[in-house]
Amino acid sequence: MRPVQFILVVLLMVVTYVYFNRLRSGLLDRLIVLVFAGVGVVMAVIPNFTTKLANLVGVGRGVDLFFYLAIVGLGFMCLLLYSKIRDLESAITELTRALAVRKANTPEGVEEPHPE
Amino acid sequence: MTGGVSRAMDRSVFVVVPIYNEGPVIESSLTPLVDKGYSVVAVDDGSTDDTWSIVRSLPLYSLHHAVNLGQGAALQTGMAFALGRSAEFIVHFDADGQHNLDDIEVLLDPLRKDEADVVLGSRFLRESDRRAVPPGKRLLLRTGVIVNGLLTGVWLTDAHNGLRAFTRKAAARIDLHENGFAHATEILTQIRRQKLRVVERPTAIVYTERSMTKGQPMWNSIKIVLDILLRRIFR
Repeated sequence: MRPVQFILVVLLMVVTYVYFNRLRSGLLDRLIVLVFAGVGVVMAVIPNFTTKLANLVGVGRGVDLFFYLAIVGLGFMCLLLYSKIRDLESAITELTRALAVRKANTPEGVEEPHPE
Repeated sequence: MTGGVSRAMDRSVFVVVPIYNEGPVIESSLTPLVDKGYSVVAVDDGSTDDTWSIVRSLPLYSLHHAVNLGQGAALQTGMAFALGRSAEFIVHFDADGQHNLDDIEVLLDPLRKDEADVVLGSRFLRESDRRAVPPGKRLLLRTGVIVNGLLTGVWLTDAHNGLRAFTRKAAARIDLHENGFAHATEILTQIRRQKLRVVERPTAIVYTERSMTKGQPMWNSIKIVLDILLRRIFR
């Protein structure tokens, strides 16, 4: 085993460990992470395997195939995060608005409307 | 409390003023509105200077966003509040002193005559107003007019004019989700979708040094278009 393979496997295991230990995630999310980590380990340990896969879809090297997939994956993740942020923003907006209306100051001499 | 002037009729006119870090000028922008007898709804959008402590001490409705959300969000908060009161008409009015107080009645006129549901201010209907617009700004706004027209199907003479007036019915149908400056385009989209009658009326814009720096430079314009396009994709 080359040093780089060892480093990659250790890093993958650390990431997986941190994920399982620190983040309270659902069973499905954990399974997905586990599968990804497993695939990662296989790719690091048996590089020929990914190269064969790459040749199947018309890409010369396994690394290149992985590189292309990673770019697409990152783009997808950006979109996912973006829509999450938008959801969060609208939740914060609603909360802030409700609070602002509830705590509004009324000028003296103006009658408050009767609660319906 | 309103400087002795109290025209009971005008109390049903709610003037919504979105405010963000206006510290030094805010009192002189708001007080004339109060004196005129309007119901003023000042929405402080999480200012980081002493704006809120000034605004809350004035004799008007004052609301405060705990975090800064953007002008569109502040307007929506003000409108929601005004609708919860006895508002018959709701006016958008910028806080930086760029609008002429008397233009409010000009905008309300078509609403009171039931000739329109929404009236938008335009600085391109009178030669004198048009000439007051700096050349660079004129070009930017012209572009804005075309972008707005293409995106919303509502063709106007001005873009991003902060002075607008709505009937109660129209305001209730407008629900802004665009927190930033893209709300100006979003309003047009909703006017069109809700089939509201819209007209423009001439308004004067006073270009002070302050309103120029606080206005919307090129980068903001690009950001606005981006916001609109992204919203199209992410419903």
